[in-house]
Amino acid sequence: MDRDQLTESLTKIKNELIKVEKTVDSRLYLVCESLNAHKVSNFIFKTLGCRFVTATAIDSFHYYEVLYHFSHDQTGTVLTVKALIRDRENPSIESIAQFIPGAQWIEREMHDLMGIEFRNHPDMRRLILADDWPQGVYPLRKKTKDEKVS
Amino acid sequence: MSLSAKAVKKSPWVFHVNTGACNNCDIEIVDLLTPRFDVERFGIKLVGSPRHADALLVTGVVTAQAAPRLKEVYRQTAKPCVVFAIGACACGTGIFHKGYHVVGPVDKIIKEVDPNAIIAYVPGCPPKPEAIISGVVKALSIL
Amino acid sequence: MNNEMQILFWILVFPGFVFTAGLGLFASWLVRKVSALVQYRVGPPFFQPFWDIRKLLSKEVLIPQEANKWVFIGAPLVALAGVLLLSTVLGVAAFCSGKSFVGDIIVVIYLMVLPSLALILGSSASASPHAAVGTAREMKLVLGYELPLVLAVIVVIIKSGGALGLAAISENTPVASISGAIAFLVCLLCIHAKIGYVPFDMAEAETELGSGVLMEYSGGLLALWNLTSAMMLVALPMFLVMVFLGGVGTTAGGIALGLLKYVLVVVLIILIKNTNPRVRIDQAMRFFWIWCGLALIIAIVLATAGNIYGIGWL
Repeated sequence: MDRDQLTESLTKIKNELIKVEKTVDSRLYLVCESLNAHKVSNFIFKTLGCRFVTATAIDSFHYYEVLYHFSHDQTGTVLTVKALIRDRENPSIESIAQFIPGAQWIEREMHDLMGIEFRNHPDMRRLILADDWPQGVYPLRKKTKDEKVS
Repeated sequence: MSLSAKAVKKSPWVFHVNTGACNNCDIEIVDLLTPRFDVERFGIKLVGSPRHADALLVTGVVTAQAAPRLKEVYRQTAKPCVVFAIGACACGTGIFHKGYHVVGPVDKIIKEVDPNAIIAYVPGCPPKPEAIISGVVKALSIL
Repeated sequence: MNNEMQILFWILVFPGFVFTAGLGLFASWLVRKVSALVQYRVGPPFFQPFWDIRKLLSKEVLIPQEANKWVFIGAPLVALAGVLLLSTVLGVAAFCSGKSFVGDIIVVIYLMVLPSLALILGSSASASPHAAVGTAREMKLVLGYELPLVLAVIVVIIKSGGALGLAAISENTPVASISGAIAFLVCLLCIHAKIGYVPFDMAEAETELGSGVLMEYSGGLLALWNLTSAMMLVALPMFLVMVFLGGVGTTAGGIALGLLKYVLVVVLIILIKNTNPRVRIDQAMRFFWIWCGLALIIAIVLATAGNIYGIGWL
C-alpha cells in the first residue's frame, strides 16, 4: 500500500489517538494516552504489518513519553506511537514485549534508566546499569538543581 | 640496558581492553594492523589473552561495571607490563566527566591494584593511528 | 664414549636442538615476512622470532589456581622433547647417511603425534573454558588428519616396494607418479593442520576463542610452545622432503637441492596459509575423512596396480 492508503487505514484506530502529526512526508507521529498505546501498537504491528525498530523514553516536564518506532518498509515511512504517561509518581505502561519479543531488551533499558514500569513484561531484569547500582535510583530522570544522582 | 628490557622493547605484544568506550578508539587501534600503518614492523602483535601481553591498550572511560574486570585483567597480565590509556576518555574521563556511571579514568583504577604501574597516555578523540604509534614507541624507548 | 658423545651432539647441536631451533625461527620469520608482503605490508625484521622467545623467557609465569600443576608444566616439555627427537631422527637419516634403521618411519609417525597430544593435555589441564573449547577442537582435528596421514605413508611404502626404512624410502621420488602426487597433496594438508596454520587453526582461533588452547600459558612455558611450533616448521616439511620428494643427498649439490626442496614445501605452506579462511571443525573433519580418504583409497589402488603391472607412473 502507498502512503495515502497508509494514512487512510489509520482512521480505524482514530478513537484511540489524540492526534496524528506529520512532520515530514516519511514520519508520522501517533499521539495517544498510555492506556491506549498497547492497542495502537498491536494494530500497527499485526494489522498493518510494520516492523518494530526501537523505542525511546523521554522525560518531558509534565509527563513521561514512551515512543515506539515502527517502519513501514514498502513506503519507507516511520510510524511512531507516542504514548503520554501523565502519572509522574509511578509511571507505568502496558508492555508490548508480550507480542513483540524484540522489544524485551529496550523496555528493560527504559526501565533501568527512566524508571517506567512495564506491566506484564515477560522478563524484567536489570540490563545496563552496574550490578552494584542501587535499586530505585533512575539516572536519566530530570533532576532539580539540588538533587544529585546516587 | 639489560637484555630482558631490550627484548620487551623489540617485541611488545598488545592486548586490547574496552572499558566502556564509544568504539572510535577501538577502530583506530585495529587500524594499526592494516597495511597502511603496519605495526608488525615493530614486532607488535595483537594477542588474544592478557597472559601473553606486554602492553594493555585500554580504551574508554571506566564504567562501574567494567572497573572490577579491568583490575582482574591487569592482574592476569604477566609482568613486566605497560598500560596505555588510549583516547581522551581513558586519559581523564573526557566528555563523560561526572557522569553517573563513571568510576574514574584508567590510571585511578589501575593504581588501586598496583601503585607502581607504568601508565602511558595517548590523548585524542580518537587519537590518530600515527599518534598511537608515536606514543607506543616513545613509551617503549623510556622503558 | 665416542658413540655417546656423537649421539649427544646429534640431539643437541646438529641436526638436533640448535640447528632445528635456528632454522625453525628463521622459517617462522619467513612465513610472517612473506605473509606481510602478500598483504602489501612490510612485516617484521629478521631477528623478530628470536626476540619474541627471549622476551617471553623474561616474563613471569602465571599458573591458574585450579590447574593441574604437573601436567600444565610438563606438557610443553613433552612437546619439545617429541619434536626434538623427531627432527633428530629425520635429520640423522637425511644428512648422516646410512644411519637409519628398518621401521623408523613408523617411529617417525608416532613421534609426530606427540606434540599434538601434549597440546591437548596441556590445554585441558588449564582449567579454563576457552581452553576447553580449544581442546575439544584440537582433539577432533587430530582424529581427522591422522588417518589420511597414515594412508599417505602407506601409499609411499607401497610405491617403494615395501621398504620401511627412511633411507630406503628417500631413494625414490614418489611424487613423480599419479598416486604419489595425490598422497603428497593430502600429506601436505595434514602437515598444515598439524602445524596449526589457517585454514586449520581453529584450536587457537584468536578472534573466536581469545587464544584457545594456549590461553593460560605465559612467560617461559609459552616460549616453549612457540619454540615447539617453530621446530615443527622444520621437522614436518623435512618429513615431506624425505618421504615424497627424494630426500637430501650427501654431496654438496645434493644438500643444496635438499634445502631447495625444503624451501619449496615451506613456500607451499605459506601460499595455502594466505589464500584461505579458517574452516569449522566439522568441515575440517568431513574434508579429511571423506575427500582425503577417498582420494587416498584411489591412490592406494593405483599404486598397487602400478606395482603389480610394473607401470612406474601410476
